Amino acid sequence: MEVSNKQVPVTVLTGFLGAGKTTLLNRILTEQHGKKYAVIVNEFGEQGIDNDLVVDADEEVFEMNNGCICCTVRGDLIRILSGLMKRADRLDAIIVETTGLADPAPVAQTFFVDQDVADRTKLDAIVTVADAVHLSTQLTDHHEAEEQIAFADVVLLNKIDLVEESGLNIVKDRIKKINPFAKIINTKKCGVPLNEILDLDAFSLKRVLDVEPDFLTSDHDHEHDDDVTSLSFVTDTPLDMEKFQDWFSKLLQTKGQDILRTKGILDFKGESDRYVFQGVHMLMDASPMGKWPEGKDRSSRLVFIGRNLENMNLKEGFENCKSA
Amino acid sequence: MKADTSQFPQLDKTKFEQRGKEFEFGIPITNSVCLGNSIAVGFGDGTVRIFRSGKNLKTIKAHNGVVLCMAEDGNNILTGGDDGRFLKISIDGQINEIYNFGTRWVDHVEAINGNIACSSGKDVYYWAKTSNQPKIFSHNSTVGGLSFDTKGRRLAVSRYGGITLWKKDYTNKWTSSNLLWKGSHNKVIFSKDGKYLISSMQENQLHCWRLKDKIDFAMSGYGSKIKSFSFTDNSKYLATSGAIDAICWPFDGDGPMGRKPVCIPYVGNKKVSFVETFPNENAVFTGLSDGSVFLSEIDKEDNTIIIRSFTEHEVSAISITNDCSNLLIGDMGGNILWTSVWDK
Repeated sequence: MEVSNKQVPVTVLTGFLGAGKTTLLNRILTEQHGKKYAVIVNEFGEQGIDNDLVVDADEEVFEMNNGCICCTVRGDLIRILSGLMKRADRLDAIIVETTGLADPAPVAQTFFVDQDVADRTKLDAIVTVADAVHLSTQLTDHHEAEEQIAFADVVLLNKIDLVEESGLNIVKDRIKKINPFAKIINTKKCGVPLNEILDLDAFSLKRVLDVEPDFLTSDHDHEHDDDVTSLSFVTDTPLDMEKFQDWFSKLLQTKGQDILRTKGILDFKGESDRYVFQGVHMLMDASPMGKWPEGKDRSSRLVFIGRNLENMNLKEGFENCKSA
Repeated sequence: MKADTSQFPQLDKTKFEQRGKEFEFGIPITNSVCLGNSIAVGFGDGTVRIFRSGKNLKTIKAHNGVVLCMAEDGNNILTGGDDGRFLKISIDGQINEIYNFGTRWVDHVEAINGNIACSSGKDVYYWAKTSNQPKIFSHNSTVGGLSFDTKGRRLAVSRYGGITLWKKDYTNKWTSSNLLWKGSHNKVIFSKDGKYLISSMQENQLHCWRLKDKIDFAMSGYGSKIKSFSFTDNSKYLATSGAIDAICWPFDGDGPMGRKPVCIPYVGNKKVSFVETFPNENAVFTGLSDGSVFLSEIDKEDNTIIIRSFTEHEVSAISITNDCSNLLIGDMGGNILWTSVWDK
């Protein structure tokens, strides 16, 4: 037997209570796929998950003493993932269910901050189950619901059989306004092919290149100032690397609490490689990702998802990074 | 055409490998403890194997999952698993289930003078030698580690935000006090003289409390988390993992404050993943992330010998028998070296 060093993908399942997380979990676990999944559930979760690899956890959000004020991690995840990695049998994936009111940021940040977790596992995707009937009200009443949509790579819009088509379109527009990257899948009783929610590699930098965000207009009508929205910027003028790094690092340092997610593909003057990055609050993963494709126009694209974005002079800041 | 193997460098086996026995189990090794002149090893598939000089290897199917933690309890081994079971296993392989926590893991076990304890979630369960009923010590966050002092009158429980120090008075009543330091605390140990308490943190540093006056300080500068640390028997040095050198902090005199640690370097710049001190000596076995293991004298520069060459798997267990005759080394790839310490 050989002990493998490949990173095990971890799927994070969020969504408000009653949206259908447990239905989805049971679907994942009972389908005949011949794969071995471990499931980490929380103590407030709905009961009735049938799997011999269910681990009970308390969601414990820890602050890190690294001078980064919004840097929180899930202590229970660090403990459990490191324990699961000592197993003799190979896990195909790990699924983490969060409580209905959980903020997904600490879960995502755990994979940036803890080296052991990052060495042995990788964050595959954040899948948010949303109740098509109640999502609009939940988004208005609970900032956690907005965050769960903002962080999602996939939104499973569930219970679509219980709403009119016009109502469904309103909910979808709302989701897209918060998060233009999320893939929205309509479901009844969480019926979805598993390959659309598992093993997506959504947090890899390579995937940033593949996913075309569903851009809406950048004009926003706000009901509240603290609504989560997204803003995106595109330019064909190459950027000045030094100026960009200066602006962007200051921006994350000072506004990182309000900026939930960022993604970008950047064209720097004098560089032949594409630079790709993605971030969660103040934490960022960035790397050159090979040459620009032949015959395609080079351009820089930047997307922000967060609160109070209109007060950050993002457009001006980005414009100032253009090379002279 | 026949390949000319002479052009490849021949890696000689160390003399410890030559005279010892090597095993390839292919299952991660999670723990090892010494029981007199035997050594028990815990594996990622729930088995416990017992190595005894001159006797056959004994294999015990203990847990239905990972053996997460082990401790020595006289002639028995205590184990905790991710199957939620807290077990007492005799050296002959008799298994006694002390408690079953169901889907909750048993993360830490400890024993002293026949009194035993384990942690599951935020609670520590303590069984006095004379009692079948556990006493439950509760905390506000999940227990990161636990440790008795050498007399068994104090129990340190690490958690988020510091250490809860439980003390037993002479009427056997337990009371607690808090040693606070921001952040998440994991493994915790007392110095062998009972004067200091050390915890490793989620950040790449150790935190230390001098117990007589509660002065506390950090020991930092590491490149990764410090998962393994061990005091020499005279409490003169605390040997630590987490850097590319074995970092040994001086705890004689007034302790390490304002003093530099001894840094023992190894070739290849691999991270130190495991340390175990040599009984009654100022010396340390250092296991690296590539599987190699060295023995170094802390007080003497350049006095290092190689015990095991690399296996490409992080060293996760080193134990030496009480009579210092035999040594066991295990790694995350499931390789074991079981060898005699001295030339016969």
